[in-house]
Amino acid sequence: MRRRVLAIAGARLGAILLGVAALVWAAVPVPGGGWASIALGIGSLSVLASAGRLAVLEVPEEEDAYFLSLADRLLQRAVGLVRWAAWEEAACVVVLWLEVLHPARAWHTAVLGVLLIAYLLAVHVAESGTPARDLLRGHARVLGAGLVLLALAAAATALPAASAGEGAVLLVVAAVAVIAAATLVLPG
Amino acid sequence: MTAERPEPGAAAQPVFRADASVQWRVSRHSRRLLTLALAALLLALVTRRPELAGLAAPALLLLAAGSGRATRPAWLLVEVRPSATRLIEAEPATIGLTVAGQAAAPGARPGAGGPAAVADGLVPLDSFDLRWTFHPGKGIEPASATAVGGRAPRFALTVPRWGKRQAGTAELVLRDRWRVTEGRVLVTLPSLDCFPRPGQQEATITLSRLPNRLGEHPARVPGDGLEFAGIREYVPGDRQRQINWPASTRLGRLQVNTYAAERAQDVVLLVDATSDVGEPGTSALDFALRGASAAARAYLRQRDRVGAITYQWGGAQWLAPALGKRQEYRIIDALLRADASWSRGANVRRLPRAALPDGALVVAFSPLLDQRFVEALRDMRERGLSLLVVDVLNVSPPASRRDAVSPADRLARRIWSMEQQAIRFALRELGVPVVHWDGTAPLDLPLAPFTRRPLVGRR
Repeated sequence: MRRRVLAIAGARLGAILLGVAALVWAAVPVPGGGWASIALGIGSLSVLASAGRLAVLEVPEEEDAYFLSLADRLLQRAVGLVRWAAWEEAACVVVLWLEVLHPARAWHTAVLGVLLIAYLLAVHVAESGTPARDLLRGHARVLGAGLVLLALAAAATALPAASAGEGAVLLVVAAVAVIAAATLVLPG
Repeated sequence: MTAERPEPGAAAQPVFRADASVQWRVSRHSRRLLTLALAALLLALVTRRPELAGLAAPALLLLAAGSGRATRPAWLLVEVRPSATRLIEAEPATIGLTVAGQAAAPGARPGAGGPAAVADGLVPLDSFDLRWTFHPGKGIEPASATAVGGRAPRFALTVPRWGKRQAGTAELVLRDRWRVTEGRVLVTLPSLDCFPRPGQQEATITLSRLPNRLGEHPARVPGDGLEFAGIREYVPGDRQRQINWPASTRLGRLQVNTYAAERAQDVVLLVDATSDVGEPGTSALDFALRGASAAARAYLRQRDRVGAITYQWGGAQWLAPALGKRQEYRIIDALLRADASWSRGANVRRLPRAALPDGALVVAFSPLLDQRFVEALRDMRERGLSLLVVDVLNVSPPASRRDAVSPADRLARRIWSMEQQAIRFALRELGVPVVHWDGTAPLDLPLAPFTRRPLVGRR
């Protein structure tokens, strides 16, 4: 029992730490300007709220609660908002936006991609309550292929043609085509 | 989810079958992966940075791996097996659920002809993770984990207070191996009849004048019973086996034994449901129903005909006296309707003779708080019925919150107490015995003065 509790707590803590790591990785060095600060604030809030959602997963939802005090009602609304809103999606978008605010740094972005995928999988493991080994059984091949594609895309930016404007667009299109082909061929 | 129905021919354990459609939708996990992939692709195109497009690759591959490959069941056949649909307060019960069949398309609905009929459209559920969540209904307390996995979960529950209760719903979530999609099924669980926990009553009250009906109570008139009544002189036609030879030898003339006739009586249980005071579970109505249940059992055990009248706001519901075990359940079922909020029916004055037969013993369970009920008792007494009131009032008015010991508070409580005493005194003066029952001790204790000898009904 204690082992199971520790495993569940570990998965949740891991998810929170990965979220914080991805946010910090994308934000540092913090770019100047108002938008960056706003994005950082929203990102921090999203990661924090996501942590809160994972923390209240086991708390049963109140039913038929009448005549509550104002404080209780506010608390119930806040918990409801934390449960309902898509905090992880918001965190991913904001982290990507923070990464874009920096000048191009291909390998840095690739590491960020690994962090974000790990964050989403950790959240998935934490909220399912199933051991990661059982839940992610069979994912290794697909994840490996995805990470290879991510590495290829990062490496492709080192090509001389990638520095030019038209070349970059073509490279993006090529990357998308390769990913589409991989999704059609590899899984299953 | 279609209508539920008990399986025909079910023996001890009732079986309900629910024919339910599965509502499939994208899981939260896949929504997150999709958001990441789309945002990365969009930013890659806008900023012309191919490494961002590469960032979308793992997410898209995971989504592609999990979508559209496995055949998903569209319909499920769920069997619901409650351990009992009739319970007694606080009695533990279980509800078992089993996925008995599944079909891939609505055309092959599993409920059409049972599990055998879905063999063509069978979808294996082994590749799906099944998670059940029990949402208990109002007044139902879960006694086990409310979320479990597997194809055949079993949820334990208790019903703390009597009444007709909806057991609640069970939600089944099916997830594929990649958890990209999830299907939801909502199964409505059957309703449970929770009977009040009966009090303890062994002895019964017997009237001195019993109707001319065969039963088990020795009457004062001679008859063909078993209880010895006396000796009289032999007359032609008497049975020889009734001759009392010692008495005949002593007196020099033939003497025969006489026996008391054995009669049955009509008993009407009158439950006052107009006022329910006290904490739920130990309220006056709780005690009234428990007492009435105990009395019904005790009198039916004595082969008496027992009926019930529930006196509520604005009316009364009644059940004519009858015999047998079945009548016990009918009485309790009738009493369970006492929690119906507002009912308009005939009042006690207009009750038919079948509900209140002449010469019946009326045992009323009431806190005697409603003046109209007291008037109804007075009216019944004036009609010549033999009445006995079991007073189930065990609470006094709560003290004022602000000033619990104020003189006005004390005075009000004292006036209320005197009014209650006056009501009971007036009933006793009319010849209606009033006994107090605390709801926990056996009913035999307060009724002891009336169960030792026949109750003489005065007109």
